[in-house]
Amino acid sequence: MRTLFASALEKLATKDKKIIFLTGDLGFHAFEKIKKTLEKRFINAGVAEHNMVTAAAGLSYAGFKPWIYSIAPFVTIKVLEELRNDICLDRRNVKVVGLGGGYDYGIAGPTHHALSDVSLMLSLPSMHVYAPAIKEDVDPIVNKMYHSRLPSYLRLTKAHECFVAIPPYSSVRHIQKGSNLTLIVFGSIIGKVSSVIERFKGKVDVWLITELPVAIPRALITSIKNTRKVCIIEEHNSRGALGQHLTQLIIDKKIRVKKFIHLSAKGYISKKYGSRDFYLKESGLDEKSILKILEANV
Amino acid sequence: MKYKNIQKKLRIDILEKAFLAGTAHPHIGSCFSCIDILAAIHLFEMKKKDIFILSKGHASLALYAILHHQKKISRLQLDSYLKENTDFGLHPSGRLKKHIPLATGSLGHGLSFAAGVALGYQLNNNKNIRRVFCLVSDGECNEGAIWEAALFASRHNLSNLIVLIDKNQVQAFGRITEVLGDAATKAKWKAFDFSVYECNGHDMDALDSIFKKIKRKINKKPSLIICNTKRALGIESLEDKLESNYASIDSVLFEQAKKSIQQL
Repeated sequence: MRTLFASALEKLATKDKKIIFLTGDLGFHAFEKIKKTLEKRFINAGVAEHNMVTAAAGLSYAGFKPWIYSIAPFVTIKVLEELRNDICLDRRNVKVVGLGGGYDYGIAGPTHHALSDVSLMLSLPSMHVYAPAIKEDVDPIVNKMYHSRLPSYLRLTKAHECFVAIPPYSSVRHIQKGSNLTLIVFGSIIGKVSSVIERFKGKVDVWLITELPVAIPRALITSIKNTRKVCIIEEHNSRGALGQHLTQLIIDKKIRVKKFIHLSAKGYISKKYGSRDFYLKESGLDEKSILKILEANV
Repeated sequence: MKYKNIQKKLRIDILEKAFLAGTAHPHIGSCFSCIDILAAIHLFEMKKKDIFILSKGHASLALYAILHHQKKISRLQLDSYLKENTDFGLHPSGRLKKHIPLATGSLGHGLSFAAGVALGYQLNNNKNIRRVFCLVSDGECNEGAIWEAALFASRHNLSNLIVLIDKNQVQAFGRITEVLGDAATKAKWKAFDFSVYECNGHDMDALDSIFKKIKRKINKKPSLIICNTKRALGIESLEDKLESNYASIDSVLFEQAKKSIQQL
């Protein structure tokens, strides 16, 4: 997704000379073209993320529209105070782009994973989170971010394969109709979900959410009311992201559910290193585990 | 010195506000160590389009006093200092963007912000590039982000960035040499490729002549002025003392300090 992101931003930056891009020394084999196009507006801020975030706030004060980029934990958890004090408190137009949402960096290990990035970003005033599900989402999301003057966070992943047709971009999309269980998926874990849901056509009502906070459409609320069984799947820890958002919705709307299942990242159960699939399996977020849950609850 | 009257007046303004704030701790020691630097920058050096960042946000009262002296904030605004529903808290908010571009208080942020603004002003390609002044404290140079910002500033040739260190030698819980050592030395900042100057930070003539030197310099390095100062200068009983950071101004100290300031 990072090359798609670079292309999308390059298009915008060609027209808007106030866009400026800062990377924390990353982008080899991906950002060479945008670097050439943006010239002085492409800044390698070095392995100095604290400075990069606050310098971006300063560039925003000087009239620029900065986009900052690094591996997801290095532009979220590492620099949380800079994001809060220097960008969000004054609602500055700075966009934060992190590569490697969830377990995406696999064998690189926990230091490179982002399991709490969404909740941390949502704890900041005015911050909006975008988590593209498929590669086709990147361009419309980058455009949407650009057209907002508020800070936002883009949670990129590797473009994972998806086995069902996904409608054109919208923050909430209806993927499959069903009447026994409402399944709500956050971002790119839809790839894993997509390989098992087709066999539950007519039974599992599948929704895809790619932005938080988000207004939940009436049709999704109706689905939950009708099925009274909810399953949420997100490659993020259980607190503060989609699961919590929907829990709050269910409480606020006084919706009576008889089953509430939340499949989320469980951290590091064996404390061993492995691929993304290894960690997903440990967390019960792999295809087989998802299949079992659906079979048991439909 | 020709600036004595203004130095005394600003100290009295700060003292009065600190007294009215009651039991609060308005960091009077730090305000008095940097007030002459603030005066030199704001009253005599800054042009209308230049900006100033107070990275050592705990000295906010000194900044408010200067802004009031320049009629950039009203008496009413200054009087709201530390009152409920005020814009003028113990650490500055970014709500008055024109005069206070950044909410500071957590140390180590101001220099990066200043560097970002300075780079932005350079990229804007104006003929008369706007300048950015940034005041940091010597204790603040403990922060890693200061050195990240220093690398960034010199790498990008931010000659329109003028950093001043209020070197009062005392930080929150010890003297700088006892804590992490002296980070406000010429050698350290020269090693980070700054044009470095040093003077008595209470001598506004000396500051003025350094500003003139900076204007004349032809290299593209960012500038740094080590301003040697004394905590709480003007309040004899608190001068150079750690407790000056935590002192409330009661009526006894208020009267003592007023007399002491007049002896400056």
